[in-house]
Amino acid sequence: MLQLFKIEWLKVKTYRTFWVLFLIFVVSYPAFYLFFASKFMEFDQANPTQEMVKKLMGSPFIFPNVWHSAAWFGGLFFIIIGMLFILLVTNEVQYRTHRQNIIDGWSRLDFLKAKLTMMLFFTITATLLVTITAYVCGSIHTPATVTYTLTTKLYFIGYFALMAFMYLIVAYLVSILIKRTGLAIIIYFAFVCIIDNLLWLTLTLKGEQFGFFTPLETTDSLIPNPMSNVMNMRTVTDTSLLIGTGVYIILFTYIIYKRFVQSDLKN
Amino acid sequence: MSITHTQPQSNTVLEVANLTKNYGAVKALNQVSFSVPKGSIFGILGPNGSGKTTLLGIVMDVLKATDGSYLWNGQHADHNLRKHIGTLLETPNFYHYLSAYKNLQIAAAIKGQSNPNIDEVLETVNLSQRMHSKFNTYSLGMKQRLAIGSALLGNPDILVFDEPTNGLDPAGIAEIRTLMQSLQAQGKTIIMASHILDEVEKVCTHVAIIQQGVLKTVGSVQEVLNTSPTTQVQTIEIEIASEQNATLLQELTAYPGVHAARDNGNYIILTCATTVDAAALNAHCYSQGIVLSHLFVKKKSLESRFLEITGNKSDR
Repeated sequence: MLQLFKIEWLKVKTYRTFWVLFLIFVVSYPAFYLFFASKFMEFDQANPTQEMVKKLMGSPFIFPNVWHSAAWFGGLFFIIIGMLFILLVTNEVQYRTHRQNIIDGWSRLDFLKAKLTMMLFFTITATLLVTITAYVCGSIHTPATVTYTLTTKLYFIGYFALMAFMYLIVAYLVSILIKRTGLAIIIYFAFVCIIDNLLWLTLTLKGEQFGFFTPLETTDSLIPNPMSNVMNMRTVTDTSLLIGTGVYIILFTYIIYKRFVQSDLKN
Repeated sequence: MSITHTQPQSNTVLEVANLTKNYGAVKALNQVSFSVPKGSIFGILGPNGSGKTTLLGIVMDVLKATDGSYLWNGQHADHNLRKHIGTLLETPNFYHYLSAYKNLQIAAAIKGQSNPNIDEVLETVNLSQRMHSKFNTYSLGMKQRLAIGSALLGNPDILVFDEPTNGLDPAGIAEIRTLMQSLQAQGKTIIMASHILDEVEKVCTHVAIIQQGVLKTVGSVQEVLNTSPTTQVQTIEIEIASEQNATLLQELTAYPGVHAARDNGNYIILTCATTVDAAALNAHCYSQGIVLSHLFVKKKSLESRFLEITGNKSDR
């Protein structure tokens, strides 16, 4: 796997679009999050109704809640990485380099595994970024008078990693099925931003809990909006959502594998 | 896809057995079978759309056969085996934002070469001066030469070239032709698909002619040129003339190896076995008191043979 990643890295290390999109994520997410946290805390201290706000929102930018809010904000920005990943996969099809990789001696599974190493790279780097950003934010804004255990709610970082991987595997599936860069990105955004949320909303408003088991909502629901706790209508457990996530990952991996391994490689 | 377990001849590099590829109702390949001898330059010749690239795509595992099988060096297809085959399939496929050198680094890494001969192959295909230019700044001819260079990475014993002279200027075409002949002289086997008859005739030792997915004929170039399209018997044609053509016609009708003799008004045309020797024929006539004023062994061109076999129509 390391050798496969080294080859993938050779492909992207001087690719300008890769660095532009990756750096947009790496810079914009912490900048926005820390700025938002700063403004929120200023408001929190200046507003006479701060006790009520705190009650509603649970001081999301101090330890240990900061792990939760950083993971949730990270999810908003991670769509950029999903788009970047679609670009990397569909570029291979568009320029027929996926064929060349096979001709040069990779098995089709090698090609899929090589892209999996990039998914792991994005998941790990994004998770590290969220962790560092959360730690910095918590260190800045947590009052000395507050007592807390640093690792409380740290599991939200694990949930973020799972959510990031889920977003990438959906991007992978869309790329393998659609192949065309522009169309794949449009469909991905439509699914992530509209279709999945509409499904969730429709089912949830009907009082159904199935809405929390739509493909992306399984991981999204593990990290609910930290500033709208009163809106959380979920009664299904984290464990059932984790099982749902596992089922989706296995199903999507199987479809990607079958589709790529058994089909003709054309563009 | 059925699997063939028969062992190929020891000097066979590629054995294709009943390869079939359907695209819906269209049969792109229909029961194609042949063997590529070791050390040959094996031309796969056919009109546009005849199935040449489909055939090569299948044996390189980028396309899946509907039926049939193939063996490389007597073994079933395996990706590790492809690491030792240099291939240019259809069009040069490279990362457009990377330089030639970096693209070859990736190809060499996939092939598992720890110390790749990138500088050497770039020199061979005359791209050393532009090795650090991005692929998307290359002309069509340069892209083609880079693809040939990539195929030469690791000095493989088997090379597969699909239309290798596409986009090259006349000098480039001559260079590639010389390169292929020198590679063959080193004992390498080259499989080359082409629709350019002159290219195949000049460099290939063996040829398979495909039309509409059907293998029309296969063998050494000489065999294919000399085999009658109707009887499938190998023949050559000899034109002769003397001042006594009528006697000559009578005399040679029974000459060993002569299948048919006819007078076209100017010459006697002998259709005979490839074993008939022009010098011996001349000596025989002289011994019978006939002095030949004309003797010419007609060499068929691949073009005329190809048109005899396929007709004049493109498959598209």
